[in-house]
Amino acid sequence: MPLAQTATSVPVTIDDAKCIADKGCTVCVDVCPLDVLRIKELADGTKTAYMKYDECWYCMPCEADCPTGAVTVTIPYLLK
Amino acid sequence: MDEILDGLTQIDCDILVIGGGTAGPMAALKAKKKNPGANVVLLDKANVKRSGAISMGMDGLNNSVIPGYATPEQYTKEITIANDGIVDQKPVYRYAEECYGIIKELDSFGIRFQKDQNGEYDVKKVHHIGTYVLPMPNGDTVKKALYRQLRKARISVVNRYMATRLLTGEGRVAGAVCVNTRTAEFLVIRAKAVIMGLGAAGRLGLPTSGYLYGTYENPSNSGEGYAMAYHAGAGLANLECYQINPLIKDYNGPACAYVAGPMGGYTSNAQGERFIECDYWSGQMMQEFYDELQSGKGPVFLKLNHLAEETVAEIEKVLHIVERPTRGHFHAGRGTDYRKQMIEMHISEIGFCSGHSASGVFVDEHARTTIPGLYAAGDMANVPHNYMLGAFTHGAFAGEDAADFMGEVDFAEFDLADVEAERARVLAPTKRDDGIPPNQIEYKTRRLVNDYLQPPKVTAKMELAQKRFAEVREDMEQGMHVRDAHELMRSLEAASILDCADMAAAASLYRTESRWGLYHNRVEYARDDENWFCHTLLTKGADGRPAHEKREVQPYVVDIAEDEKDAYYKQRVDASVAAE
Amino acid sequence: MTAIFEDFSDIDDLAEGLDDPSPGARIMAVIELADSADPDAIPHLARAITDTDAGVRKQAAQALTDFDGPETAAALVDALSDPEAEVREAAAVSLTELKDPASGDAILPHLGSQDEFVLTACLAGIKELRRPEAMEPAIAALASPSQVVRVQAVGVMGWLQDEASLPALCGAARDPEIPVRKAALLALGFSSSEAAQAALAAGLQDPEWQVREAAAETLAKSGGSGCVAALTGALADDFWQVRLKAVRSLGRLGATGAAMQIGPMMDLPIPNLRKECAAVLGELAVPETRRFLDPYADDTDPDVRKNVRWALDRIAAA
Repeated sequence: MPLAQTATSVPVTIDDAKCIADKGCTVCVDVCPLDVLRIKELADGTKTAYMKYDECWYCMPCEADCPTGAVTVTIPYLLK
Repeated sequence: MDEILDGLTQIDCDILVIGGGTAGPMAALKAKKKNPGANVVLLDKANVKRSGAISMGMDGLNNSVIPGYATPEQYTKEITIANDGIVDQKPVYRYAEECYGIIKELDSFGIRFQKDQNGEYDVKKVHHIGTYVLPMPNGDTVKKALYRQLRKARISVVNRYMATRLLTGEGRVAGAVCVNTRTAEFLVIRAKAVIMGLGAAGRLGLPTSGYLYGTYENPSNSGEGYAMAYHAGAGLANLECYQINPLIKDYNGPACAYVAGPMGGYTSNAQGERFIECDYWSGQMMQEFYDELQSGKGPVFLKLNHLAEETVAEIEKVLHIVERPTRGHFHAGRGTDYRKQMIEMHISEIGFCSGHSASGVFVDEHARTTIPGLYAAGDMANVPHNYMLGAFTHGAFAGEDAADFMGEVDFAEFDLADVEAERARVLAPTKRDDGIPPNQIEYKTRRLVNDYLQPPKVTAKMELAQKRFAEVREDMEQGMHVRDAHELMRSLEAASILDCADMAAAASLYRTESRWGLYHNRVEYARDDENWFCHTLLTKGADGRPAHEKREVQPYVVDIAEDEKDAYYKQRVDASVAAE
Repeated sequence: MTAIFEDFSDIDDLAEGLDDPSPGARIMAVIELADSADPDAIPHLARAITDTDAGVRKQAAQALTDFDGPETAAALVDALSDPEAEVREAAAVSLTELKDPASGDAILPHLGSQDEFVLTACLAGIKELRRPEAMEPAIAALASPSQVVRVQAVGVMGWLQDEASLPALCGAARDPEIPVRKAALLALGFSSSEAAQAALAAGLQDPEWQVREAAAETLAKSGGSGCVAALTGALADDFWQVRLKAVRSLGRLGATGAAMQIGPMMDLPIPNLRKECAAVLGELAVPETRRFLDPYADDTDPDVRKNVRWALDRIAAA
């Protein structure tokens, strides 16, 4: 059975300007109980965190523990 | 990251603790304290800093037994009545006796409990009899404080490794097979004792929102503990006694009546009237909730709008900061305000969790399972209505007992073929070029759980469920496909969820009576004390399918008078008035 | 092979990150030092809390929550005067997490601070450490024009539970500000002295309902038979919240003499109050109150009903 890609809006957003993933920070990635965040490289070569998997419990350690206040958790659309 | 790598390492330890949420860290700390020379490994598929049911915190203790407020006898009686008498009281009583010491220890860790202006515990009366609720207005620091203790004790922490199967040999536990959730590398851990604290099976039913991860429980608690115990041959008790909880509709987080209750808030029907007859959290209470939802007086609401502004503000501060802090976001998005209107409630999807009900791996008062050297504590062990403090306390019992046990044994021999077989099982979805993704296997299983297993339970529906689960299992084993290590973790979770669904159906079919209110409401059967005043024990049968047996309820430590046994039924409107 | 165990890095190695030119890297070094839970990290964090970057300073202030002792406390107290509010606030929160009484050594000298924020935070920090030396400065702090300072000062005295603070607490119970009066009455709960009882009884007459509620609640903790009359008077309070606490306290004090006043309150249309009255009438078990309960044995409110039935059982058994 071949796979299709289905779009989904994700509840965790990162302010790239505030994110210090470039400095080796992985706090949000580390603390996520569902392990849905990852670090990616941006077009300008710097790094930022992002939500890779839409599997969020909207529990908030990522937002609470982010040292620079770069993470925002919203309620997933399906239950908002 | 997430690329699938090939690798297998073996390490040895004296005590392996699987699960770094609540019970696990306490077990590891206590084991290390009792035997400082012991090599204790604490493993979590997430990161112990923020893993488990209390990843963000907890807003209070629902079952603290603090001298001057409640007695172990009273508490044990309360739990026995709330569980329709099917309780081995020894573990409950031991908990009740020792939990105060654990509270003080947690306090010394820096976990904050509400204290009054004299620095004394500010215990709140919520229940009709007994005073058990100790709020934690700053309970968002729980995990942080625990982590600090783990580091200080130099516990060996292994993050992002998921245990997939227990190893056994010589009639006892021998270790566990684990897989890295980001690389798919294998880790075999040999251990003299293994303590499981893997939490609830919280991803069993599908939330009404349809969002797979919008569960009442932390969805990382997907039932691995139950599945691993089952495959290792341990007994699981009373799985038909599901967990179903009241919650804020759609948000699916706890309504926290225990927070609002002492301040005058309550659960009401659409007319703003109280309707819950039960005093203590129980299946009977959930049946009343369900009945009201189905009746013309539904739906059900959390009512705070009769309280003073100052009181609401105080409640809001706790509810929106501590246990599920996005709750404030949710209400803001909906435009709902506790001051202005009642907040719609609902009941949760089903799950296994003894933290709130009684479905779990069978354990005694030392947290020992039916397999020597294997322990279980917290939401996955069958001590009823344990909540967070129960997880800490029984975790402590497990750690202490395991520290003794490991001193008396060497590593048990296990069959290397078991490791190879497990590797093959785990990696099978990586060997296919395409197929069914784990999320579809999971969605279908959980949708079927809702369709056929959710109470009220009907025999024909549950039998249909078994048939459909077998089809899904066939699809899973023959056709599931994953693209990376993260999806591999999800595929393993999907397998655990399916195992739990099978166990839920089998256990529910076995007990041919109704008991525990909504939790095991089998519409074709009435309560039958003559045949079913017993635990049910589910094990893996020789044919690889669930096998069942009855297990006697151990003689009570605390007597329950005949007229107390049905205390909840007595409170009904149609019951006769006791006085006259 | 991917690393298996969380590591226990050398503290000095971790601390080198504090010299990185990038603030982000220094924040990471602070986080790693905190995660070490090793007391050797304290001096490094004490340095980081004076970093040039506010983000680093804030992280260091938070990180010090993981540590205790005078050195930690001293660093946090200094940070209370940081130019950035977020740093000051983080330091204030961390100060309240201290458990080691010795940490108080660094806080005590600042209990005379003229700065409202510093003084509030230091009082809040010393409170849980229960240092007897804090009592005099706490009493002095009651003269502060700031009500937040006065609330914290009252807290310090309440936790110390020393009768010597009674005159000051009784004075605070007449403070012009509501939160101070409320806190002072709650703090008086440790004392069964006449002075405390009189202050609490007077609190039942306070113009503000929340203060009256606090007085009514606290009287159950330390009050004797002498306060029954005052609590009985509070049964007629305009606010059901106050009446509810008064009823509860009368129950705890076993004030059977008040039962006949509580009985008629069963007829009031306030569910929470009726529930509490029924429960307390059961605790007091005065046979004559049965007539107030009888009509409600089948009440439509289950909480009322079950308490009424329980109360009637108790009376029948008495």
